[in-house]
Amino acid sequence: MSGKRKSKLGIKQRYSMLTRGLGWDTTYQDMDKVFPYDNYEGIIIHDWDGWEDPFRLTMDAYWKFQSEKEKKLYAVIDSFAQNNGHLGITDARYVNALKLFLTGVSPLEYQAARGFTHVGRQFRGVGPRVACQMQAIDELRHVQTQIHSMSHYNKYFDGLHSAPHMHDRVWYLSVPKSFFDDARTAGPFEFLTSISFAFEYVLTNLLFVPFMSGAAFNGDMATVTFGFSAQSDEARHMTLGLEVIKFMLEQDERNIPIVQRWMDKWFWRGTRMLALVAMMMDYMLPKRVMSWREAWDIYFTEAGGALFADLARYGIKPPKYADIATKEAEHISHQAWHIFYNYTHAAAFHTWVPEKDELDWLSEKYPNTFDKYYRPRLEYLDKEEKAGRRFYNDTLPMLCQVCQIPMGFTDMDDPTTISFEVSEYNGDKYHTCSLGCRDIFDYEPAKYVQAWLPVHQIYQGNCGGAEVPDVLKWYNFNLGADNLEYNGSPDQKLWDEWQAHRKKA
Amino acid sequence: MTYALTIEPIGEVLEVEEGQTILDACLRAGIYIPYQCNHGLCSTCKVEVVEGDVDLGDASPFALMDFERDEGKALACVCTLQSDVVIEADIEEDEDAEYLPIKDYVGQVTEITDFTADIKKIVISLKEDIKFQAGQYIQLAIPGVEGSRAFSIANLPKKADHIELHVRKVAGGLGTAYLHDILTEGDDLSFSAPYGQFFVRKSQHKPMIFIAGGTGLSSPKSMIDELLDEGYSQEITLFHGVRAKADIYYQDYFQALAEKYENFTYIPALSENKQGDDWDGEVGFVHEAAVRHFNGSFAGHQAYLCGPPPMIEAAIRALMKGRLFENDIYCEKFLSKADGGGDKRSPLFKRI
Repeated sequence: MSGKRKSKLGIKQRYSMLTRGLGWDTTYQDMDKVFPYDNYEGIIIHDWDGWEDPFRLTMDAYWKFQSEKEKKLYAVIDSFAQNNGHLGITDARYVNALKLFLTGVSPLEYQAARGFTHVGRQFRGVGPRVACQMQAIDELRHVQTQIHSMSHYNKYFDGLHSAPHMHDRVWYLSVPKSFFDDARTAGPFEFLTSISFAFEYVLTNLLFVPFMSGAAFNGDMATVTFGFSAQSDEARHMTLGLEVIKFMLEQDERNIPIVQRWMDKWFWRGTRMLALVAMMMDYMLPKRVMSWREAWDIYFTEAGGALFADLARYGIKPPKYADIATKEAEHISHQAWHIFYNYTHAAAFHTWVPEKDELDWLSEKYPNTFDKYYRPRLEYLDKEEKAGRRFYNDTLPMLCQVCQIPMGFTDMDDPTTISFEVSEYNGDKYHTCSLGCRDIFDYEPAKYVQAWLPVHQIYQGNCGGAEVPDVLKWYNFNLGADNLEYNGSPDQKLWDEWQAHRKKA
Repeated sequence: MTYALTIEPIGEVLEVEEGQTILDACLRAGIYIPYQCNHGLCSTCKVEVVEGDVDLGDASPFALMDFERDEGKALACVCTLQSDVVIEADIEEDEDAEYLPIKDYVGQVTEITDFTADIKKIVISLKEDIKFQAGQYIQLAIPGVEGSRAFSIANLPKKADHIELHVRKVAGGLGTAYLHDILTEGDDLSFSAPYGQFFVRKSQHKPMIFIAGGTGLSSPKSMIDELLDEGYSQEITLFHGVRAKADIYYQDYFQALAEKYENFTYIPALSENKQGDDWDGEVGFVHEAAVRHFNGSFAGHQAYLCGPPPMIEAAIRALMKGRLFENDIYCEKFLSKADGGGDKRSPLFKRI
């Protein structure tokens, strides 16, 4: 080729002119007063220009790309609705995964938008500021498109009507909500470590991918298309997560122990939250993608292993208790499903005992644990249900002070003993579900004693009343429709009618 | 069937197999194009096809928009070639890169001498002068051996009428067995050159550290020869790691340079020094010698690493512990044919 014009600016220079060139050092006010939060966590930055922009996308290009993504996505959503796409899913039980996603995960996108908007103001370096601001807009787009993608199901299925309201109030949704509340109330560097690194990079393939492949396997085109549309943004978010870690580690060696502590903390908080995904993968998808155990091996043990092998060059160790988390991969989905089976009268989705071929699949995928610990229990519950004695647990569970999950998880080396830890702070006892959560509590007890624990709040009379139905009304549940066992639910009835019609036709 | 892929703005030309993706070809040639998902979903590796025909592969319609397809964009991770192609990628131009064209050469072997029991010096004299940057390598065709083998050039680029190679006999290796046992002075050899991004970034004017393992000395020798010849004023320190005293070569040569140039320091290190060996120099792994010499602090330097992968990895860790990071570390890994694709890496680092 010929005629290459050398005068054209490179992508990096162009980006720099359009972003960093717009920043300035304040003179009327001290920079420390203008940006009071970016040094109080102890992270030392010598040179903000040492930040390597993880992606070089300018605002005008951003609008152009995002608008075309939206056009494509909404075309698919519209055609899905017009063609009654909900009739093409594998089974109505699948919709319960969407209920969990819409109430548990989509509001997190909004939380992320709030968090990135906040820290996008707080960094004195222009590079991270621009990256955070752009991600804030992405996150807003994600929550909107998720709600729109799934809204079609709300016309036919129960439990999808009040996601933001439920997210703020319902007991199990306090697990993801408190995760993000914890991150957003931390300093800006910890926020990026928790959300951009731990959540978007290390754990995203264990959260997002299972839901999206679950949608693909179960005939849910609208959600799959949303997934593709979001994934093209996620790559930017992941590179931001890696860059912030490199930036902190390279700027000053005193940052290393702080970053290590944050990685330990947010890895553990993340794995706890993923218990919800684990049970979704193993129990809620009529057509299964892979087992939670397999996903963990691929995405954490292998991919995370490669990452932490590289991070070792900085003196960073694999997250504390990663070994316990790997042991949990054999148990956690079964234990979490069991908790929800107990309390499904207080949940906005249905639970059930898997059918025989599904139990066989679990036996095959979990040869070390399923037949020994979990299958007999499920078969017993199934017998009880068939005999008209569907079991619901009428007492309220004790919650972990940090992850807010009911304290039903066991010691991994002794799966018939409940695991719990006790800490003392200002003369009071606080309970946590694991060593990981206990360490998090012990490092910042003053933060976690403020936790809004749903069970405590119910007992204190702050949740609509003294009886379970009062609380559920306060949650905005349609009693008898949103909650309880899947067998006999309005969802199931409607689905069976559709199937019968189809047979006739 | 292979195609030529030209990568702008750096002007590198690669040979790409049919069905091989642009990204794969680039990464294998040591050219880093930013990427993430590696299967057409995320759009991090977007490039512009300036000339030629390509198959866009399985690029997601959300990662590669229709208007971008019309504009000639492609995702390097899924895009394959259907003709010779020129692309423009998000690669930063390197001030010190000369972007020399790759050519085919035929030369005559005019010297084969033993450096050590298993390393030979092979000199190939050329009829036409060769242009290369100190540190770059050749792809040598070896009679009767499939594929070519990479060897770094050890001589000063200015002395362009020949190239000097350092060849260690690899156990069970067909190529090096030929070069050691069958090749004789007077034979003709053909090769193509120059390849690689391993050259000195002297425009940054930083003190330089060279860490070489075994025949990894070849590139640093060429680079140091040139720096000293040009009067580079910053400190230059060469660490050469070998097993035992009998494995050292060019010791007298570098000692003489160290005496002649005040800014050059030469430190050989033996990893398996035997009792009774006449040796009062550094003992231990070569990166340990570097840590001792610099008191564990490398900030402000530039480091050039050349040798087998375990040595490179150990050196990178030592340098990073001493606060020297990817932007100032350059390396050339010596992989033999048997090393294969290497282990799984995360996208945390680009070049090292």
